[in-house]
Amino acid sequence: MKDTLAIIERVRRINPQVQHLELAVDESLAKVKPGQSLLVRVAPFSPTPGEENWHPYLREQWWPVGLNNNKVIVERPTGIRYEPGQVINAMGLLGQPLRFRRTLRNVLLLAYNSTPTALLMTIPWLLGNKVAVTLVLVGSATEYGTQHLPPEVEVLRGSPGKEEKTLIWPNQVLTAGWADQVFVVVAADDERLRFQRVLELFQTLRKDVPKNYLFGVFQPMLACGVGACWCCAVTQKESGHKLICQDGPAFDLMTMDFK
Amino acid sequence: MIDITRPGKNMLSLNSPVMAASGVLGFGDAYRDIINFEVLGALVTNPVTYEPYSPAGGMRVVHLDAGCVVHTGMPNPGLSKVLAKYRDLWTMLPLPVILHLVGTTPEHVRKSASRVEVEDAVNALELGLNDDITPEEAHQLVRAAVERTEKPVMVRLPLQDAYAIADAVVEAGAATLVVAAPPRGTGRDKFSGQLVTGRVYGPLVLPIALRVVERLAQRINIPLIGAGGIHAPQDARDYIEAGAVAVQVDAVTWIHPKMLEIIARDLSGLVVTREVGALPDEWYPGIGETTSKMKREGPPPE
Repeated sequence: MKDTLAIIERVRRINPQVQHLELAVDESLAKVKPGQSLLVRVAPFSPTPGEENWHPYLREQWWPVGLNNNKVIVERPTGIRYEPGQVINAMGLLGQPLRFRRTLRNVLLLAYNSTPTALLMTIPWLLGNKVAVTLVLVGSATEYGTQHLPPEVEVLRGSPGKEEKTLIWPNQVLTAGWADQVFVVVAADDERLRFQRVLELFQTLRKDVPKNYLFGVFQPMLACGVGACWCCAVTQKESGHKLICQDGPAFDLMTMDFK
Repeated sequence: MIDITRPGKNMLSLNSPVMAASGVLGFGDAYRDIINFEVLGALVTNPVTYEPYSPAGGMRVVHLDAGCVVHTGMPNPGLSKVLAKYRDLWTMLPLPVILHLVGTTPEHVRKSASRVEVEDAVNALELGLNDDITPEEAHQLVRAAVERTEKPVMVRLPLQDAYAIADAVVEAGAATLVVAAPPRGTGRDKFSGQLVTGRVYGPLVLPIALRVVERLAQRINIPLIGAGGIHAPQDARDYIEAGAVAVQVDAVTWIHPKMLEIIARDLSGLVVTREVGALPDEWYPGIGETTSKMKREGPPPE
């Protein structure tokens, strides 16, 4: 973990929902891998008492979606204004890289009521290793524009409704059966409930859900992000407490204790 | 050295009056590559219960304007597992370790205190009291700990009931009062639209807790530790001026980890440069010996 400064070098509006920021970062942060993220404070730190801006208060979790010559590209909502040349404070790297199987041929990425931002960095890596990628967007995630994604990525849009009926998409049984691994992001409001729903769905779609197959990529609001506050603790059936910011963000949903 | 507990057989003295509050530095394993622990007075661990606690469900962190509400459910693997896992680390740390024990029931506190008594890696206990606790319940919990350990038992008071229970806690044998735990509040989570209740962190806690410290300092004759809302060195000095012997820094560490170190250096006299135009008494190590303390103890002898 390192506390560094980064510079926003380029701001690119990708679609009505998101923009991509190109960050010049410390070389330790440029080693980011799929699944890892940065903890950012945009308001500059002022050592002079009374001049500090405390809104927003906590650091934000920024998810990289790609690398470009040691510059980290992150995806942010368009509602926030960023300026090229803006200096930000970035801590990282958060979490562990996603664990892919060695014999990987097909990967299913599923965004359920959440933008798929946290999953996007896997795409260049997977395509580069000749792994087929299917991105499924369900619920409010169907509003996410995918024009900027590589054409090799198969995008399936499910039902756009809210809650129970949203977990439906075309060729559900086929996509779940073909996939060697599945990575899922859900809305941050109640990840435990939503991941439980996803697990139940896959248990009906497949004869059996093996270990190291269905991963939930957790993205809760973080307080410290470094394993100090234990706000992001989750419970696993066998190994007890795990911290999303340190041991995550991806956990095998079969090992999670949802009680 | 600063004595942060009442005089006794096992009083605790620190090199620095600045430490992180419980829940800020984990169990001593977080921030070690960002913060220099050597400049801190002590490590206060995350809350520990006698039995394991599971994490809370739903949203646990809600953003406020200039603050946040945090509701964790105090997840921890239980005292025995915490000691087994972190004992070696605590022995290696260059500072005393204060174990924050959650005051659940007198029986659990009694068992926990007996367990901690034989742990060389733990220098003191900090007993966290629930909000809405009565003076009688607080007395029972503190008594349960004091009877089973000779190590100093510091007590962290809930902010809103600090006046009401302080006397009972002191009478029960508390070595120090930590004033206070972050207050409880409720905020609306923008993602789920639900109201979330938890502990409130932010600069606005400072004036509330500072007032409590100031009033308790005039009434209580054991050391006080000021906690809540510290975001800059001057905030920590305000607590010292109000009558605290030391301070605990909380959420600012999550935002600017280095700020904890800056505050510790500032109050420990480790700052070797001073601002242009600063008067000598604005930066030298004895900065805490100011008006409020003189008010209590009377003017120094001629």
